[in-house]
Amino acid sequence: MPTTGTPRAIPPWVWALPPVAVLAVVFLYPLALVVQESLAPGAYADVLASASFREALVTTLWLAVASTAGCLVLGFVLAVVIAFVPFPGGKAVSKFIDVFLSFPSFLITLALLFLYGTVGMANGLWTDVTGDTTGPFQFLTTPWGVLLAEITYFTPFVMRPLLAAFSQMETAQLEVASSLGARPLRIVRQVILPEALPALAAGGSLVLVMCLNEFGIVLFTGAKGVTTLPMLVYGKAILESDYAAACVVAVVNVALSVGLYVLYRGVSRRAGA
Amino acid sequence: MLVHSRTGRWTAWAGFAVLFVPLFALPFLVIVAASFSTNWSGAFPSGPTTAHYAAAVRGESLQALTTSLVTAVTASLIALTAGTWAALAGAALGGGGPWGRRAKRVLDALFMLPVAVPSVVVGLAVLVAYSQPPVLLNGTRWIVILAHTVLVTAFAHQSVSAAVVRLDPMYEQAAAGLGARPSYVLLRVKLPLLLPSLNAAAGLCFALSMGELSATMMLYPPDWTPLPVLIFTRTDRGALFTGSALAVVLMAATLLALLAVSRIRTKASYR
Amino acid sequence: MTSGIRFDAVSVAYGGTTVLDRLDLTVEPGEVIALLGPSGSGKTTALRAVAGFVRPVSGRVLIGDRDVTALPPYRRGIGMVVQQYALFPHLRVEANVAFGLKARKTPKDEIPGRVAEALEMTGMAAYAHRYPRELSGGQQQRVAIARALAIRPKVLLLDEPLSALDAQLRSGMLAELARLHRELPDVSILYVTHDQVEALTLADRIAVMDKARLQDCGTPQDLYRRPRTEFTASFVGNANLLPVTVTADGVAFDGTELNVAPGDATPGAATLCVRPHLVGLGEGPNALRGRIVEVQWRGSTHRLYVEVGGHRVKADVRELRETPLLGSEVTLHFAPEDAVLLAAGVNDDH
Repeated sequence: MPTTGTPRAIPPWVWALPPVAVLAVVFLYPLALVVQESLAPGAYADVLASASFREALVTTLWLAVASTAGCLVLGFVLAVVIAFVPFPGGKAVSKFIDVFLSFPSFLITLALLFLYGTVGMANGLWTDVTGDTTGPFQFLTTPWGVLLAEITYFTPFVMRPLLAAFSQMETAQLEVASSLGARPLRIVRQVILPEALPALAAGGSLVLVMCLNEFGIVLFTGAKGVTTLPMLVYGKAILESDYAAACVVAVVNVALSVGLYVLYRGVSRRAGA
Repeated sequence: MLVHSRTGRWTAWAGFAVLFVPLFALPFLVIVAASFSTNWSGAFPSGPTTAHYAAAVRGESLQALTTSLVTAVTASLIALTAGTWAALAGAALGGGGPWGRRAKRVLDALFMLPVAVPSVVVGLAVLVAYSQPPVLLNGTRWIVILAHTVLVTAFAHQSVSAAVVRLDPMYEQAAAGLGARPSYVLLRVKLPLLLPSLNAAAGLCFALSMGELSATMMLYPPDWTPLPVLIFTRTDRGALFTGSALAVVLMAATLLALLAVSRIRTKASYR
Repeated sequence: MTSGIRFDAVSVAYGGTTVLDRLDLTVEPGEVIALLGPSGSGKTTALRAVAGFVRPVSGRVLIGDRDVTALPPYRRGIGMVVQQYALFPHLRVEANVAFGLKARKTPKDEIPGRVAEALEMTGMAAYAHRYPRELSGGQQQRVAIARALAIRPKVLLLDEPLSALDAQLRSGMLAELARLHRELPDVSILYVTHDQVEALTLADRIAVMDKARLQDCGTPQDLYRRPRTEFTASFVGNANLLPVTVTADGVAFDGTELNVAPGDATPGAATLCVRPHLVGLGEGPNALRGRIVEVQWRGSTHRLYVEVGGHRVKADVRELRETPLLGSEVTLHFAPEDAVLLAAGVNDDH
């Protein structure tokens, strides 16, 4: 290839170096240190053998899976209504969902305290009506409280890709299906659901990763009985100053989340999201 | 239209309202209501007051708000610069044959990684790395800003590179054909065309940083307490109503910033 | 300094596929050459090699006397207009036209005059303050041309510039481009198109491309009257391509001796090209007898499809009092000088 006589342009990989170098200094190097720290003698054996770690792992996993399932069901139902049974104000609801996404998660827990806390709205209604001294809603400091908060907070993350997918769907399909005599539920099952599957898969795996990593909701719940992996990292590092153990838990958590995230990228790329 | 019968439609809407209102609308109403109250022992709050807001814009609370704003703006600007740079460099790499495409994938994956890593772990990693020589940042505001930057850079990169992919190469080629060197093309064509996406990314980064709690909890020094941390410490001590007022302030500040950014965006959208 | 473009054995390949195969072509200063061919023929690749958006794997591209093969696009001093116009949506019309001038650091006080001149030339002066999205397709096209002309290029590259316009606008713009070329006699124009009407109307010479290669090159009249290949014959204008046998005695079609000059054709199978409008109805030289299998009325002419010995011969006949009947036997003829003998077997699929 004749290239004589012209000054060579700077090759593109040189341009990629500065941002990668910055990322390496502020993120990759620290992450590597965490891995290195976790390799302290005996750290893995101690942590993996401890009951608190295993409990946290189980709690994290089932909470994440249950929240994701809840978000998928709720998000699908709400998105179908917004997209296919349009009502005045539907646009505002979609906007509200976008705004919802930009608020921090712990606000939900704060709100739930007023709704279902020991002296909250629900229990207050109960005591006002029945005259009892305490109400029946005491689930907030249990895993169920966390589950409710996570489903509430993460459902919009499922709805957004779903609404995007639905907006690209041809209404002609629905019209043809219904002219062929299909009832709404059948259309949802046989026409809408198959179209929604890629978006559901993408949204669901994103929510799963975010649930695994969720910290604010659990922290605000203040439940001693609910310890997740991120809580354990925080507890070991800040409260107990046991950095080696914190790093081990962190590595396990990262392995879980990154593994799932890779899956999510694969799924969402196929879904075109 | 999916449901054709009148009753069917009303059933769908009623079901929607039953799910949507208590789950999504009520939480925010409750926080706003609580922020104006002194007491909540029955079905509804009581003792209307604005004292919490008076307190929220003074002293410690005001400082926390400024801290959050400064942190969010600084982190967003750095993240936007780094994310945009990486997105543009990645796009340039992607045009350079099979090796370039592979390099672009690695670059994208690296910048995507902070999304998947739990924020708490990012906090821990930054804490571990910068509590020891050669760089000691522990106990300073910079460690908080650094962690926020790491956390939001991934989102900035993600949304800008999506926009770079959508950018039609014909504009770049038309500019080059008219005699514009690459730097001129970048400044006069590419960045102006990316402006709407850059604004959107800036808004996203700002909102994320304003609400960041996980990593901040691991890192914040006493003299650099962002608003979410203050909300937590207040509510943890039982001051739920003060916490609610602070939460409303946080939401309002975020919304205002997003609104401002979206106004720039509509001004800057060309098509 | 002479302008003009020279392709010197230029080859372009993407991932092992050759999309342009050893193109040799010279555009003289002030000449308009149309690169005509179907999609995938390599014509756009050739243009992009001049612009600098693709790098040849071998060969040289010269603009004037300068070898620009290795130069980046912004140092080549060309004007270019593409199918989608690529007007910068964030800039007003005047800023779009001024873009190239500013990018080349033209003295500031010269720019407004040059912009006005270019807009004047394309009839868009009244729209200087509009944004591209506020213009119609034809107006955007004019701005794109003004933007390319503002830098006073010696070489203008037009890549399917009219194909995004509707038919009526297209013929108007065609006349406009012809006028612009008369006003700018020094500018060499390379015009890529798949539309033979555009090529025949505008070009001084047409370069016919197919399958990454230059098939034929000549003036429009030359290509139309004396095509060298079957591809050219069928792509430039309409053609009857009749399989004939060349012997020492003459040329035979379907067992009938024809009165056609064999020229330097080698004995064996060959193809005879006759334009449908040069085929007449009734007795005459080179009479062919057949049966009408299809009739299309085209306003000024009737297009007859006549089956002659297993081959369909097209004839465009004027001024028929009544529509010929399907299935009726007719005789066709053509003048010896209207037939062109082509080497056979080059492109069997036409």
